[in-house]
Amino acid sequence: MTSYIRSPLVIVWALLTVVTVASWLTARDGGSSHQVNIAVTVVVLLIAALKTQLVIWHFMEVRNSPGWLRAVMHLWLAALFALLLGVYFSFR
Amino acid sequence: MNERVEVADNPAAGTSPSWRRHPKLDQWIAFWIVPGFFTLFGIVFVPLSFMMPPRSPGSSTPEIVGFMQSHNLLIACAILTLSFGLAPITNACYVMQVKRMSVSPVFRYTIIVGATTGAIVGMLFPMFCFGLGAFRTGYDPPILAMLFDFGYLAYIGSLGCFCIMWMAFGLAILLDRNNILPKWLGYYTVWQYLTELMAAPVWIATSGPFAWDGLMTFWFAMALYVPWQIIVYLCIYRAIKNQPVHELENAQFVVASSLPATRPTAHA
Amino acid sequence: MTEVAQGQTAGIGEPRRDGRTGRHLPGEGSMWFFVIGDLVIFGAYFVAYMFYRGQHPDLFLQSQARLNQDIGAVNTVMLLTSSLFVALGTSAARSGKVADAVRLFVIALGFGAAFPLLKLFEYVPEVTAGLTPGTNAFFMFYYVMTGLHLCHVLLGLVVLGFVVRELRISPNPRISFVETGATYWHMVDVLWLILFALFYLMR
Repeated sequence: MTSYIRSPLVIVWALLTVVTVASWLTARDGGSSHQVNIAVTVVVLLIAALKTQLVIWHFMEVRNSPGWLRAVMHLWLAALFALLLGVYFSFR
Repeated sequence: MNERVEVADNPAAGTSPSWRRHPKLDQWIAFWIVPGFFTLFGIVFVPLSFMMPPRSPGSSTPEIVGFMQSHNLLIACAILTLSFGLAPITNACYVMQVKRMSVSPVFRYTIIVGATTGAIVGMLFPMFCFGLGAFRTGYDPPILAMLFDFGYLAYIGSLGCFCIMWMAFGLAILLDRNNILPKWLGYYTVWQYLTELMAAPVWIATSGPFAWDGLMTFWFAMALYVPWQIIVYLCIYRAIKNQPVHELENAQFVVASSLPATRPTAHA
Repeated sequence: MTEVAQGQTAGIGEPRRDGRTGRHLPGEGSMWFFVIGDLVIFGAYFVAYMFYRGQHPDLFLQSQARLNQDIGAVNTVMLLTSSLFVALGTSAARSGKVADAVRLFVIALGFGAAFPLLKLFEYVPEVTAGLTPGTNAFFMFYYVMTGLHLCHVLLGLVVLGFVVRELRISPNPRISFVETGATYWHMVDVLWLILFALFYLMR
């Protein structure tokens, strides 16, 4: 069972966890009130996009899936985050 | 399909016209009522009475009174009262196909009960509320305002019944080993269930995206629902068409010689 | 049912390669229809949320400050870990190591079950503090979106349960079924990753 720890998937997981902690720390206000912070938002959303990409590519095995699925997933990811950031910036 | 050929060449079948001896006549009549019913409903609710898209829950009392006592609403309610009995027939089309599935009878009973309670709460209650406003004059504005809220909440907020119905229908399709209806339709039906759940906030919010005319609860749900309603009936059309005649429940009443002698085609 | 044999040559964590193209669609096609559709539907909800947030930035910011960011972060790690074990279990199942697969999926179930439990510790204090869906637009969005996601998680736990059952009881476990369940679970994880960023972290 312990041989599984050498799987490349564990490396992906470790990266995901580190990045999660990083984004959580980025958003900590240390007790002060929440305020609009464009930098934090962009960092947080980009990290979320990275995490999503990693899970889809490696865990869901889209990396090895037919071309149409890879195209659709990338299109969805790009469109969603483009829209999210676009709408966010349209109000700034 | 070769069904008409089977029925037509039988001189010993009696004097009724051949179309009346069509084995699936009952299902086709029920099926073709559906577009008629929905078109009627569409006309009643949208251009005629302006009930859909929903009036704002935050409408002022004079607006509500004007709407409740409008001539258009009167005509709409009259048509609704005369035609609501067709609704069970549209649901019967679903149940006839679910009966053919390999799943437990619990699913079709759940669909029937869900459809029945849903129709009572989702169609009859609004009919009473808006009908009262339209057919009876002299109600005080606050009472009309309450009937307005009651009617819309019953129509859009009656999610529980339809939740159960769509969940049962969707699960039945997914678990069915006979593949009567396609699996992706089962998943699409699960989305129906989820959008019904999303309608729960209408009871709380009177404005914004979660009110009964809101983006999240109404418009997104409509964007999912309208194609689903069309698609599900297209799939049912195919299912009726592909159903082998010998599997029909009234197969024993179809004249014996009109059934093919050899094993019929397997359905798609 | 001979899919297990085909996976023998793949290493741990490596997806199998089919036939000439070497590409493989995990599980049943209809589940991918559901996954893509669900991602699009939630995507629309996310963008709508971003839009309404833009209209009331202060309200959303002040309300957001009342959320428990720590539980949110822990829950994220729980789901990611659970997804890891699902992915490991899937490739173990493919390699024919069914006993390992069962253990891995059970561990995944454990981490997955932590999510609703932690959610309880999050929702209950919020509600008792008077923060309900009716409080304001942010909280309506928060409860509806995380609630909808929670329903997906609970359904996913049931699905994983069936996967474990298939692996344990069936003499020749259907790998397609395992992959289908795994795909659903990973989708649930993806949805949370975005929810976490949008509701808990962004400013």
